[in-house]
Parts: sequence; structure tokens; C-alpha cells
Amino acid sequence: MPKHNNDRLQGTLDLLVLKILDRSGAQHGYAIAQRIHQATSDSLRIEEGSLYPALQRMTHEKWLKAQWGTTDSGRKARFYTITAAGRRQLDEEERRWLTLTGAVNRALRFA
Amino acid sequence: MSPLRRLWNVLRRDRLDDELRQEVDTHLALIEEEERANGAGAQATRQARARFGSPLVHRERALDGVMAMSVENIWKEAGFAARRLVRSPAFSVAAVLTLALAIGANAAIFAVVQRVLLNPLPYPDSDRLVDVDHGSQRLNLPSGLGITRGYYYQYLERSRTLDGIALYAAENATLTGDGEPERIRTTRATASLATVLRVGPAIGRWFSEDEGQPGGPQRVVLSHGLWIRRYGGDPGILGRTINLGGVSMDVIGVMPQGFAFPDPRVDAWTPQQITRSMGFGIWLYGAVARLRDGVTVADARTEMNTLIADITRAFPGDEFAAGNSAGIALFSTVRTLKEAMVGAVARALWILLVSVGLVLLVACANVANLFLVRSDARQREVAVRVALGAGRSGIARYFLAESVLLSVAGGALGLAIACGAVRLVVSAGPATLPRLAEIRVDGVAVAYTLLLSVVTAFVFGAIPLWRSIPLGPALNESGRGNTATRSRHHARRLLMGGQVALALTLLIASGLMVRSFQKMRDVDPGFNPDSVLTFRIGLPDRAYPTRAAAVAAHLAILDRLAALPGVVAVSASSGLPLGSGCMGNTLLVQNRPIPPGTTPPIARFCAVAGGYFEAMGMRLLGGRRITRDDVERSLPVVVVNEALAKRVFPNQNPLGQYVSSNAPPARAEGAPGPTPLEIVGVVSNTPSRSLAEPDAASQLYMPMSIAGGPGIPPTALLGPDVALMAFVVRSSTPPSALLPSVRGAVSLVDPKLALALVTTLQAMVDSASAQMAFTMVLLAVAAGVALMLGVIGIYGVMSYIVSQRTAEIGVRLALGAEPRSVAAMILRQGGAVAVAGAVVGLVAAFAGSRLIASLLFGISPHDPAVFAATTVLLLIVAALACWLPARGAARLSPVEALRAD
Repeated sequence: MPKHNNDRLQGTLDLLVLKILDRSGAQHGYAIAQRIHQATSDSLRIEEGSLYPALQRMTHEKWLKAQWGTTDSGRKARFYTITAAGRRQLDEEERRWLTLTGAVNRALRFA
Repeated sequence: MSPLRRLWNVLRRDRLDDELRQEVDTHLALIEEEERANGAGAQATRQARARFGSPLVHRERALDGVMAMSVENIWKEAGFAARRLVRSPAFSVAAVLTLALAIGANAAIFAVVQRVLLNPLPYPDSDRLVDVDHGSQRLNLPSGLGITRGYYYQYLERSRTLDGIALYAAENATLTGDGEPERIRTTRATASLATVLRVGPAIGRWFSEDEGQPGGPQRVVLSHGLWIRRYGGDPGILGRTINLGGVSMDVIGVMPQGFAFPDPRVDAWTPQQITRSMGFGIWLYGAVARLRDGVTVADARTEMNTLIADITRAFPGDEFAAGNSAGIALFSTVRTLKEAMVGAVARALWILLVSVGLVLLVACANVANLFLVRSDARQREVAVRVALGAGRSGIARYFLAESVLLSVAGGALGLAIACGAVRLVVSAGPATLPRLAEIRVDGVAVAYTLLLSVVTAFVFGAIPLWRSIPLGPALNESGRGNTATRSRHHARRLLMGGQVALALTLLIASGLMVRSFQKMRDVDPGFNPDSVLTFRIGLPDRAYPTRAAAVAAHLAILDRLAALPGVVAVSASSGLPLGSGCMGNTLLVQNRPIPPGTTPPIARFCAVAGGYFEAMGMRLLGGRRITRDDVERSLPVVVVNEALAKRVFPNQNPLGQYVSSNAPPARAEGAPGPTPLEIVGVVSNTPSRSLAEPDAASQLYMPMSIAGGPGIPPTALLGPDVALMAFVVRSSTPPSALLPSVRGAVSLVDPKLALALVTTLQAMVDSASAQMAFTMVLLAVAAGVALMLGVIGIYGVMSYIVSQRTAEIGVRLALGAEPRSVAAMILRQGGAVAVAGAVVGLVAAFAGSRLIASLLFGISPHDPAVFAATTVLLLIVAALACWLPARGAARLSPVEALRAD
């Protein structure tokens, strides 16, 4: 399975998207972006458009499943849900993130 | 996603982009709504852009990512498959070689079919070109009469279906000056030939209409080959004068390379100088025409038949016109030019293509079997993959990646084999195969090979796949005993039986061809072809303007040749067996009036020098032969062949009867009419066109001094033109060694004379059966390969079954079974499948052999001897392939066998 741990920002975005979808069920791109803003209290400012390369890639990896549907306001949008493979990936990424941040925290404290 | 789906994605980037655009638009619209609700007002759109970033950039990045993954995954899958294959080299090499052999054979035969049958003729809009030919029911000639001047003008003036028609006639002429005299093939053609074919000279120009009038200036257009060969490609050739047949002609053009009308051997074209006032004439010409747009060949044929019925009105009072229309039940046999050129070989080539297709099926069955064995061995690996979440498509990918790789490798190697094979066909193929020089492996053949490789991959790759899915319970199977299930063996037996059936079908077809070829070689040609050199000498009209001069020159040459050391006998004839040069005409028997409404018998008239039958080794069946004395004294005598004697004089003694060529009464010009000739002898039949003639043609031989020739109009119909004679030199030394002294002897008579069509009688007989030999050899190779692959397949399946049943056999042996009965059990199993396959093969061959009936000679397509012999051969070989594994089973030691798993 291809991994993206060489690009931390990308990996972080993947992690956030997977986590949000794991919590909330099917969401379209705009809603995911809203949740990221809410969850991070607007401190993580990303261009909302940069979600789409990540969504496409993760769909291709079969971590996500995409289905067309309509938004509350009647617009056509793609709704993403997390798959079993996506949950496994989420566990992995979460574990890796905790290891990394733990290590960096320790380093900042004791260096 | 399957590899194909991924590939599809790469190809359908636009579709993906459309979906993405829709999604992004929705997102932008939702941001705008939000901003507007927050009171952004007119700034909403700009705010949305700022929050989202550039839609274009993000879309591109998203697409690029997906594309890269698709391509990467295809390569990755191929890479994994390649590594797996390299790890089992025996399997991979066997599979690739098997496929290469079969695909190579298919590619080679396809290249021939494509270049000869499918590829359009090398003329613009060549599908509109037709060969204008005629046949006659009364003369029992289904086609091949050609055309006369009269019908040429009739069609030229009155046809509404044709967009131009051109007349041509092939002949030979001696080219002198600039080196050795050379006998070349020329074609006289009307000026319209270039416009009908829509091909012009590469340099210079073609004839004008004026140059096609009688008495017009003498012009010649050279072929590219002659221009390079004799004039070194001299660009200053235009305007030079060359001497052709004793006539000085200005070179006005050179045709492009590859222009080969009517055949590739033509060296030069000269204007056919005719006018309508020359009258209807006789069947001397060929014609090619171009159909008008929207007109079919059938339309043209209908119109021509109408115009044939009306010919006497177009040439009132012309006896030739009256005698060559409704009276002989003449009809048009116009057909496309391509059909006229390649129709005779089409069936043989298609059958060869089908044969190699069957070989490919056998090869697929073999490789599928190898795959089955391999997939059994990896059943657990596959089951593990399924358990880990690989779907059906994942498993399909796993197997198909391997089969596609093997097949493409086999295809690439096969293409190399095909290139070699095609080169062999071009250099060694029969000269009778039309368009031989055009054959090569072209882009179409490469594309076909590629397609064939991919299709092949799916055929043999799909079989193990279909066996492997669903594969739920595989993990439950413990090691012992039952890894290969009953249905699995069933698939294998089906493949094995299919191979036997296909191999037997091909064996029978090639057996029928081999027997036909033997029968053809056993045909008594009526002459003795051993150790006879033959060549043609044509005397130019300018130097030898009369028949007497021509005869004297031939006699002088014969005297010189007879004096050469090693020469046993020597003579000459206007036409040899299996060759052209005789005049075909109807025959009049003295005191036997032709009943009205009937047609007199038709015969081939040959002109010979003295001693011809002795030199040829033809048997005298009655009376006497034609002698030098007959020639020198121009005696009105003739010798007929057995076929003519039986056909024209049934229950009558032909000797002493008088016959003559049937010509209309002599015309005002006072040309000499045919005189009655006394039959003085009867000789054996010789084949006229092919060795496979069902009935020999009626033929008669006259002294050359009373036949046609220079100064005598062909319409006098006295006999063939003796300016061109074929010499036969029988020697006690090898004929080829004789050639230099023969050339020397001829040049002593006239240094400007050239020898043409130098060959031996044996070579002529060989080339007459060359096409059948070609078909036979290729079919035999196909059958041999199919048999070989089939045997390997049977052996492989039986060995595998024995190996899978080792434990069971061990139990049987331990319980006291006789080794012999164990061997018999295995043999019985294999034998049952082989016999069932053979029965299917016999039925298929019985039904299919009618397709090749037209290629056979002297043998029924259901010849019981061939069917029986090939079936026995196949069963013996199959039994052997079963027996080896069976013997192995019988020799197992029970102890080892029980430990085997």
C-alpha cells in the first residue's frame, strides 16, 4: 500500500479528513472544510480547494467511498464515507502522529 | 479498480475532470452562500475565491495525483507479475516459447493474407478496377478468352457503366545495344492504361493518343527495374533511343518503382497501335477498366452482355464478329481486378490462416494447463489474499497480469519468428503466388499480432481464473489427498480432449494435402523431363521479315546446338507443355460439315521443328512423327495427340484424315487461308496448363514452316507465330553446365539474339506443383506443431494427475493392487479422453474437409485411408504420452507414495 508519510502536511490533512469522516458519516467537501475550521477553531488555515487532491487520492486508495447526492440547498455534490481500509489507515496514522508528536514534545522539553 | 479500469481512467481524464468541476462548483457556491449570509454582499464571490484558492490549480493537482497512481499501479502490477514469473523460469520459458511459436505462425500467415488478399492493389481507388474477360459455353471455356479489338471498341463507345477501358497484350522482345542482347517482357497498351489505373510515370510521360495510332511514332516507357538494371538509373534516359525487337524507339518515361501491370515481370510498355477500322479481330488481348461511381460489377456485366448481343450491328459484315458472339454463347466474366489476380489462391490462404488459428487454440490449451497446475500450487496463497480483503478483481488482476505479460513476450518473440518466416516465403514461395513481392510484415500485421497476443492472454488467462473464483473453502483444505478436486480434473480433461480433436483435424487436412501432392507428382506428364534444357528465342521482325527467314534461322540454330558435345537430341516448338505459345482455335474436319447451331471442336495448334517428339520423349501411339524433311519441304501434315484422336475421331482411325484450322473465308487482301492437313501420327497427351487437369486438351502439331509467322496476319489463323520458339536440348551432361556453349552456338547464328526464360523441363514440372507444395508444406508444419503441442499437453496432464494421485496409488499398491493394473487404470483414463477427442476431431474433419476439396487432387475429401491412418497415428502418439506417466505410477513404491504428501 502506498504511504505518504514523507509529506507531513499532506499526512496531517489526510488524518483530519479520515477522523472527521469516521466521526460524522457521509459528508461533502464543503462540510468537511467547515468541520476542520470548527475543530481547529480556525487556527489551521488551509485553502479549502486543497481538500480535493486529498479526497481524490484517498478515494483512489479505497480509504474513502464517494457517492453523488444533493446538499440541503439542492446542489449536486459528492458525499464521502470512510471504508474499513480507511479506518485501518486512520488507526495507523493516528498512532504514527502520536509517536511523532510525543517524540517532538519530549525533545522540546529536554533538549 | 481493475487494471483496465485504471487504464480507462487515464484515457478518460476529461470525464474525471467534469465530475471534479461539478463538485468544486458546488463547494464554491456553498462558501458564497455562507459569506453572503454573513453580510459579505458583493464581496461574496471574491471571498469564496480567497478561501478556496484557485479551482483550476486544485483540480489539476487532484487529477495529476490520480493519474500518476493509475499509471504507477499498472506498472507495479506488471512488475510484481514479472518477478513471480522470473521465479519459475521453467514455466515461463515453456509458456513463452509455446505462445511464440503459435503467435508467430499466425502473424506470418496473416501477413501473407493481409498483403495478398486484403491490401488494396497499388492503384488509386483500386476497388473500382475490373478485369474485362469473356467465357463461352459452347467452347466450354468458363473464362480466360480475354477480349478482341471489336469488344474493346464496343465497350469504349457504348458502355455507360465504365469510366475508361484499356487494352493490353503481353509479349517478348529482344533489347539490343548497351551490352548483351536481352530478351525482355514487354506489354503493348493503349494510351488509356495510365488514366484507367491512375498511375503515371515517375519521370517523363506516358503515351499520347496520337502515339497509339497505327503508323504513329515508336515510343517506349521503361519499368523502374529495367531502368536501374540496364541503364544504371541514368537520369538522362529520357529522349534516348533504344532498340527493341529491331525497332528504334524513343524512351519517353520510366514508371514508378513497384508498378507491375499486368504482372511484376514486365520490363517495358509500348503503345498498342490500333484503330477501329482494323476490324473485330481475334482474342489476342486483355483489358482493364474502371467502373463509374455507384456502378457495381454486376451492373457492368449485365451491360456488357447486352453489348455482346449487339456486336454484329457494330461490325456489320465482319465474319469474326458474327462468329464470336451469340453463336458460341459468349458471355462477360468481368470481375474486380483484385479477384482476377488473387482469386485462385484466396481459398488456400484462408484455409492456412484457419489452420494456424487452430494451432493457436492448441497452444492456448497447453498454456492454460500450465496455468492450472500453477494456480493449484498457489491456491493457498490466493486464499490468503482473499482473506486479507483482495476482491475478485484483485485476484483477476493477479492472474491476468501474468498471462498478459507471458502473452506479450510470446507475441514479441512470435513477431520475430514471423519476420523470418515471411522472408522465407518471399524468397522460396511459389512464383505462382500473386503479389509475392508485396509480402512483408507491415503495421497492420504488427497490430494484428498485438491484438492476438492480448486476446490469447485473456483466453488462457481466463480459464484458471474461472476455476479459482469463488475460492472460499480453499483455506480449509488441509494438505492431504484432495487438493485437486474432481471438477478441476474435469477442466483439464476437457482441455486435453480439445487438443486431441484440433490436432487430429489438422493432421487429416495435411494428410489429404500430402496425398494430393503425391498423386500430382505421380501424374504421367506424357514426356520425359529429365535433363532437358529449355529456353525461348524470339526473332525480331525487322531482321527476319518473312516466315521462311524465321524458319531458316531456327534451323540454323538447331544445327549448331545439335553439334554441341553432350547434346543427345534437340528440337523446338512454339509452345511447351505447361506453358503458352500454342494457338487455340476451332477445328474443321474434311467432309464433315458443321451442323447449324453447333460449334466445331476446339484444339491447340502447335508449330514444331523436326524431331520434337523424340527430344521431348513423347510416346508415338500410331503413324509417324514430324521430321526435318516435313519442315524443309513444308508438307501439309499434322500429328495429333491422343485426346484429340479420341474426341474428334471416336471409333475411327484418325490417320489419313484431313483437318484444318477453322477460319472465315479469305478476305479481299488475299491472305492465304488454312489448308487441309493430313493426320500422319498420334502422340501421347501432355498437360497444357496444370498437372491437375481433369481432361487433357486436344492438341495438334504442325511443321513450323506451314504455321503463322512474320508477314502472315494473325487473322489468317494458319497456326501460332513461329518468330518465337521454345527450344528443347536433351543432354547427357547436366543441363545447366550446357548453357554457356548453348549461348555461344546461338550467337554464332546471330549475335543479337537473346535467350529468354531459360529453365529445365524438370523445373517447369516442379513449378507446376509448387503452389500445392506450398500449401501442403505449411499445412503439414501446422499439423506437426499442433501434434507436438498436443502430445506435450497430454503428457503434462497425465503426469500431473498421477502426481496428484500419488497417495491414492500408494494406498492401492499397499493394499495389494498389481502395478500393472495401476498402469492400466491411468492408461484407461487418458485413453478415454484421447478417444473422445479423436471422435470429435473426426467429425470436425469430416464436416470441414469439404472446405479444402477444391485444393485437393485425385482424392476424396473423405478419403478413408487418410482418415484412418492419421487417427491411428494420433492415437498411438497419445497412448505413448499417457503410457509414460502410467509406467511411472506403476513403479511407485507404496511406502514412498504414502509418504509423498
